[in-house]
Amino acid sequence: MAQNDNDPKTPQPGRSRQGGWLRVVAVGRNPKTTLARIAVLVVMSVVVFKMVLLPIRVQGISMFPSYKDGRLNFVNRLAYLRHEPQRGDVVSIRLGRTNVFYRTPSVMYMKRIIGLPGDTVVFANGHLLINGAALDEPYVKGPCDWNSDPITVGSNQYFVVGDNRTMPQENHYHGRVEKEQIVGKVLF
Amino acid sequence: MKNISRFVLALALGAFGVWLWMALFPSPEKVISRQLEKLAQAVSVRAGEGYLPRMIGAQTVAGFFSTNVEIKIDLPNRREQTTLTHDDIVQTVLAMHVTGGLTVRCLDIAVAVGADKETAQADATVEGRVPGEEDLMVQEMKFTLRKIGGKWLITRVQTVRTFS
Repeated sequence: MAQNDNDPKTPQPGRSRQGGWLRVVAVGRNPKTTLARIAVLVVMSVVVFKMVLLPIRVQGISMFPSYKDGRLNFVNRLAYLRHEPQRGDVVSIRLGRTNVFYRTPSVMYMKRIIGLPGDTVVFANGHLLINGAALDEPYVKGPCDWNSDPITVGSNQYFVVGDNRTMPQENHYHGRVEKEQIVGKVLF
Repeated sequence: MKNISRFVLALALGAFGVWLWMALFPSPEKVISRQLEKLAQAVSVRAGEGYLPRMIGAQTVAGFFSTNVEIKIDLPNRREQTTLTHDDIVQTVLAMHVTGGLTVRCLDIAVAVGADKETAQADATVEGRVPGEEDLMVQEMKFTLRKIGGKWLITRVQTVRTFS
């Protein structure tokens, strides 16, 4: 049986070897499998980075020095599927009450949970008191002179505040949020 | 293979048809969302912008509102409830001291049109960014709109507290 040199299916020495190498690099040995892999990768990326791990960029100084301005991080949206948020967790909080899982908020607050449901939270001369007892907060650096009236956290609420207490109290957004407002736990 | 190609072509044509329909006949929700985005653009000020462009911008802003618009501000350090006319809105926009510029965006807009199809409520996050400043200004807002003369106009604006 003879090989036909004009048959395009017949591999050409040299050129075909180079073409084959480039083709393997570009689309793999089996283009259909490569296409399927790309499709799976795209779908997985969308699912992971839209619904599970939200990429975020920290803006502002309210969580300073724990989280500096411009730092990149991720929010784990599945963190509270099996357990309730804990004191000390850094969470992202949605603005607005529309809690649709597939809709990713464009802007979120980043705060630390300090008060759990049923707690009474007070700032007294810069010290944070939970149910009358001072809370050890190693993440708070710098002086603080905050004062507040006692605030009782509701049954479905959490008290959140930033780590930067050197800011004037009136310029630092903090307070009670509903559990539904918590988007997830900040990963790092 | 031919059947698959036909199926893909039909799918693409169908998608194009839906897109064309939605572009030509947008839903009230889409119209209101776009309107709020345009309002945010109109409120934005470029660095060093002169009086005349700002005046035109302020007139444009006023055009998004009804003749009398109710403003309700409930912030930790400011509480106010007032009614503004178009002239008041123009004066308020012109009085903003933003020599370095200000970029305003309306984000995460959620619109609910009333059963009468004449009223609507829109929840949005308004983001203000001043060049060179680290902190963003972010505020939850609620807009009430009414269809007047075939156009959706804002009749009420109120701030919403994220933290209680």
